Amino acid sequence: MPDLKRILHVEDDPSIQAVAKVALEAVGGFTVLSCSCGQDALDQVEGFAPDFILLDVMMPGMDGPQTLQELGRMVDITQIPVAFMTAKVQPNEIEHYRSLGARDVIIKPFDPMQLATQIRAIWSQSRG
Amino acid sequence: MDKRQQQMADLQAHLQQLGEQFSQRLREELPQLADKALQLQACADPSEQLQRLTELRDHLHKLAGSAGTFGFSDLGARARLLEQQTQQWLSSLELQRQGLQGLVNELQQLASVEQVSQASVAPVLKTPSVGANRDGAYRVYILEDELKVGDVIRLTLNTFGYQASHFLTTAALDAALVEQLPDALIIDVNLGDSQQTGLDYAAALQQRLEHSLPLLVLTTQNDFYTQLQAARIGAMGFFSKPVDVAKLENRLERCFNQQSGEPYRVLIVDDDRELSSRYRLVLSGANMLVEVVNDPLQLFDAMARFHPEVLVLDVNMPGCSGPELAQVVRFNDDWLRVPIIYLSAETDIALQMSVLIRAGDDFVTKPISDNSLIATVFARAQRARLLSNALSRDSLTGLLKHADIKEQVAIEQERALRSGKPASVVMLDIDHFKKVNDTHGHAVGDNVIRALANLLRQRLRRVDSLGRYGGEEFMAVLPDCNGEQAVSILDEIRQQFSSISFAGEQSDFHVSLSAGIASSHERTADELMEMADRALYAAKNNGRNQVRLADD
Repeated sequence: MPDLKRILHVEDDPSIQAVAKVALEAVGGFTVLSCSCGQDALDQVEGFAPDFILLDVMMPGMDGPQTLQELGRMVDITQIPVAFMTAKVQPNEIEHYRSLGARDVIIKPFDPMQLATQIRAIWSQSRG
Repeated sequence: MDKRQQQMADLQAHLQQLGEQFSQRLREELPQLADKALQLQACADPSEQLQRLTELRDHLHKLAGSAGTFGFSDLGARARLLEQQTQQWLSSLELQRQGLQGLVNELQQLASVEQVSQASVAPVLKTPSVGANRDGAYRVYILEDELKVGDVIRLTLNTFGYQASHFLTTAALDAALVEQLPDALIIDVNLGDSQQTGLDYAAALQQRLEHSLPLLVLTTQNDFYTQLQAARIGAMGFFSKPVDVAKLENRLERCFNQQSGEPYRVLIVDDDRELSSRYRLVLSGANMLVEVVNDPLQLFDAMARFHPEVLVLDVNMPGCSGPELAQVVRFNDDWLRVPIIYLSAETDIALQMSVLIRAGDDFVTKPISDNSLIATVFARAQRARLLSNALSRDSLTGLLKHADIKEQVAIEQERALRSGKPASVVMLDIDHFKKVNDTHGHAVGDNVIRALANLLRQRLRRVDSLGRYGGEEFMAVLPDCNGEQAVSILDEIRQQFSSISFAGEQSDFHVSLSAGIASSHERTADELMEMADRALYAAKNNGRNQVRLADD
């Protein structure tokens, strides 16, 4: 079973991007590549070879679900768990995101100190 | 400072710095947001309005998601409400000028420098604390279209120490919600001529909020369907009109206790170190306190030290199986209240049942999903705590029973002897209580007792202990509190109690109380209780409705 080391984070808000990177690297000990838009993520995903992908839902241009769809053509998302990150969602929306192939949804606002634990939990769940 | 601590400190500093950058960003962005709203108001072309409104909604959505992460929870919550409002406008395509002006005002207010500088004081890592209020009192909003009914509830809750506000219409409540969120909501189902029922309104409101609010429902329709509807939108209480405000207050108190209660204590016994630390992580993530024992022989020590509320046992362990361990635990009456949950790969129902019949309460089958583990443990812990409280407490008032409060007086008096700081013992009795029962019946009498119990609980400190000593007699012990202080606290309670209006058979009525107080750090517990009792007797003889301090 591969280890969780490398996380690809796609988020257009620079403040959230920065705080997530700091939290995941310092608390979780992960290596994080931050992308500012879906296209950026598509360009970098193969070179970076992430173990986990974290996607913001609402982004200008290609939004989170579209990015996920495009990513699915390039890498095997059954092997690389993907989680969405978004402000409050309804239970049926979470189901919708799951049906698109996401493992789970992380709700914003999030606690920076807990983010790594949340991602690790989604990761281990996806490993069964 | 070791290396780990240093790393944490660096991290905190780094996050703090990011928080400051974010607050700088807010200072620029919030005025822009207000400008956008002004432009929206100024523009006349419908398609342009739509586009601007969409931009505004997206911007508010971003803000709602990001602000809380940096500790600006209040700003985040308000942005969320505004986002939902813009979303509603977008959906209905109804741009109402009047509402728009309100939005403009809100955004201008949001953009005021004061808002940002006030919020930036909040540390970056501060997670929103549930139920706590800046000024100590819980804030309760009441939506009730009948002026008199709403006013009675508001005034009574205020005497109980809540900060209650009453709103006649959903519009008035909406305006207040944008200003400040309450800790709980009380909503009437029938809102007069308005199209919407209180339940529909509450359902839509809960969806808009980041965390749903504790909700109590008032109704004249006491039918099953209305109750079901209330349960579906997460109501925590359902009350028929005319409302018994003392019961309402009782339920509010239970809501807040549940919310801000201590985390549940869970003890896991599993010889598999990796698995058990995974379970620990999962349950800790759900805000439970978890201890793990890998060697079953260590169980008794851990039980005695940690006082778990739930025990989680692996079924197959070397040396001693889970069911055997459960039977041994059940030998000890002190641990009867602790439910036992088994973790097992056993899927044979017959085998599971034979194990449960010997000892234990529930099974979780491996492979165990995080959610089912959390749900099972949480449900058992919740039930266990509720039952445990019910057993040691008086059923009418929720206060300690006679023997338990006397024991508490002894404990506090020993502490006072050691510390040299005086403890005060209070004996308290409702005046002419027999007359209340005779005139209005025992059910009304019970309400009076419960109301006094609730008032005392609200007004005394957490460190104070409070018990129902006899029928209408109460006892309290106040550590580190001298006689004069105790008299002034109790006299305030006396005045508040006499101002509560109770609904009687024919008419409303008022009740008073008398109290005797003894204070010392030298006397024994028995002496103190006797002195307080004599002071109470003197207060009764002297005309009642007063607080007396015992002569030392």
